[in-house]
Amino acid sequence: MRWFGFGFNAFGQICVRQKLVKGEESGDAVEEVKVINPTELRADKSGCSHIRASWSRRASVHLGEDSCVSLAGFGTSNSSESCDTSTLESRGCKDAFISESHLTLAFPDRIEFWDLQKKEKTPSWSMEIKPQSEGSAVNFPLVPGGYVTSKPPFYCPLSPHLKARSMALGGEHAILLTATGAVYTWGQGSHGQLGHGGLTSEEEPRAVEALWGMPMSSVASGGWHSVCISDGGDLYVWGWNESGQLGLPSRALRKASQEKSSQLTGELHQGVNTSPSKEPQEGEKHEEVFISIQAFPALMDVTPSCEIRTVSCGSRHTAAITTTGDLYTWGWGEYGQLGHQTLISSDEPQRVEFFRLERMRVVDVVCGAWNTFAAVVKEEVASLKNPTESPR
Amino acid sequence: MASLWSQISAILPFSEEQFPLQFTDRVESSVLEMLKRCRRQLYSDTTSASHMLNAQIILDISWERLNTGTWRQVDKEWRRVYSYGCLFKVAALCRGNPSEGEILQAVRTCDMGLLMGAAIMDNILQVIVRILQRETRKSAKDDSEHSQVKRIKIASPHVPVIKEELAVPRIKCPSLESFNTNYLLPLKPVILEGIIDHWPALNKHPWSIEYLRSVAGCRTVPVEVGSRYTDEDWSQTLLTVNEFIDRYILNKDEGKALGYLAQHQLFDQIPELKEDIRLPDYCCLGEGDEDNITVNAWFGPGGTVSPLHQDPQQNFLAQVVGSKYIRLYSPEDTDKLYPHQSQLLHNTSQVEVENPDTERFPEFAKAPYLECMLQPGDVLFIPVRHWHYVRSLQLSFSVSFWWS
Repeated sequence: MRWFGFGFNAFGQICVRQKLVKGEESGDAVEEVKVINPTELRADKSGCSHIRASWSRRASVHLGEDSCVSLAGFGTSNSSESCDTSTLESRGCKDAFISESHLTLAFPDRIEFWDLQKKEKTPSWSMEIKPQSEGSAVNFPLVPGGYVTSKPPFYCPLSPHLKARSMALGGEHAILLTATGAVYTWGQGSHGQLGHGGLTSEEEPRAVEALWGMPMSSVASGGWHSVCISDGGDLYVWGWNESGQLGLPSRALRKASQEKSSQLTGELHQGVNTSPSKEPQEGEKHEEVFISIQAFPALMDVTPSCEIRTVSCGSRHTAAITTTGDLYTWGWGEYGQLGHQTLISSDEPQRVEFFRLERMRVVDVVCGAWNTFAAVVKEEVASLKNPTESPR
Repeated sequence: MASLWSQISAILPFSEEQFPLQFTDRVESSVLEMLKRCRRQLYSDTTSASHMLNAQIILDISWERLNTGTWRQVDKEWRRVYSYGCLFKVAALCRGNPSEGEILQAVRTCDMGLLMGAAIMDNILQVIVRILQRETRKSAKDDSEHSQVKRIKIASPHVPVIKEELAVPRIKCPSLESFNTNYLLPLKPVILEGIIDHWPALNKHPWSIEYLRSVAGCRTVPVEVGSRYTDEDWSQTLLTVNEFIDRYILNKDEGKALGYLAQHQLFDQIPELKEDIRLPDYCCLGEGDEDNITVNAWFGPGGTVSPLHQDPQQNFLAQVVGSKYIRLYSPEDTDKLYPHQSQLLHNTSQVEVENPDTERFPEFAKAPYLECMLQPGDVLFIPVRHWHYVRSLQLSFSVSFWWS
């Protein structure tokens, strides 16, 4: 599988450019910090199965015989990504979870917590788990009996009655999917990110009642927003829409784009295409309604004809893949994290044309805080692999 | 006059080594690394787009932390990081030969740091903003002739008649002793006359729109938009004082919404205005020392309303410009005032004082009250927890002192 990354790269977490490492001043520093063109991650021999990203780092999980985790970005030896110390200590590891301060590794028989602030030779904390059979690997942040967090106490138990299937941690809230497809949320609710209709916080997991009777298949959460995909491939969103991360009309965005176009025409970011994206829509005719906080789940129209298969959230942006292998992104774009080869935020989903032009099908997407990583397969290769479509 | 940048660099630490960047481990090392990159650039000779870019990264990451959790939960360390981001951005803007627009942007950046950040390096943003303001005034003087003084249309507001038996008593310059015994100890409202006549705000340079523009025009302040803070469509926004005056005082774009520069510690942000006012001597009867007195500015057009509410401290409300209608209810009658149930608004009554819904709030009419028309030079003593309702009758500037 080939992985591409775009967006925030101040620590070389997407790709390393020499000037950045040396701290040299240069005119194209902006391009190095903000990767606006989807850029292929340097492949190594084992290939990367999965990616987890924090603000300043990327953890690549390599499965297979020599399974391990390699880190890129802040504090890593940028010269050779594949063999820093963390790789050695992560031998046999099946999944990883990374925050700004900690790296959590899942081994078949234990979970280890590594403090990234200190260069220690042993994990700062670890817990044993019942050895997992091959098929049912740990599904971070879920672990047997509970879930891991990025800060102490590192582990929180979950009631077995919830029958958790998967889970995602937002900036200060959590979203959980049960085996039956019900969605639970808890934590801070000040921006509507819990979806219970109010702005209050919840100490304990509480079912999102508005979604009752509609089984969900996947959940994700960003800094202050939540999304989930229904069994039918529909996308539901709620929380803060400050940067258009819900794909609903955002006043702040509209204001910013107006100011920009009136303030600095012409001299904007070198070589970056700033042509406005079909800005005035129905707006002229009637007064526009802007959404700042969406406290209930709202059904979102990503694309009229396709179902959504996978979704991931950055701190203020969202990325979703359709069943046809197209990647759509929306929300905060000032670091290039939307992949539209601009630095413009968008409150409407837009297809990332790069992959289509390259004839690539997007099969997985993972957002870091301010960047996005996409796994692709070449379309020809995919059809060859499929025996029912043998060319004849 | 030295160039702007040389004035600013003169107040920065002499060298990179002397520039402090001390944080607890709440601020992760990756963020610290970013701060160090900014610092290195500050002391390098080159100018490039990456100065601004790195400062913006600091502002973006700390902004996210400032919006995580409630404001009170936010670690002060992250407010300091935000202030550093502002400092680096101001430096990036003012290097070289900044345009007028860039200087104004730098002023705004300082204000954002003063409003949302925490003081760093002996409050360096406060020092820088003074330098920047001097610079903006130099260019403003040239076109001051163009700005014609426009008469503000004063729509005749609904002026209630104060019933004599309900009027708040008035007293001229009482002694500390007599104020203490007759009003403070028994917690009785009173209007003190003649105790702020010596304020420069009332005589030496009387506060006027032109004066406020000249002292604070380019400064960014928080503004409440909407009639009452209990309304559904009420919101807060940030505007420069000039924008606020144009939009909400002179009402240039004829909008219907009311804007109110309310409950803002303007005098900490703009020390020049602080020199125009004095702490009332009577505050010394309290237990706290001077630093514990909260001074707020209340500046807005006629028609602004503060719904009936109570505060946990003693209050002197000094009227500098315009007049306000005020109604006071004793805390003993709280059960007749129907406070909101929610925790956020439990200090606010649900009743619209001048247009009460007598069916929903039948007891309200039975609550005794005092009322007054506060005029320039008046100071109203609002005892702790006394419910008060305030409506401005025309362009108004008041200063409140909360003390204990």
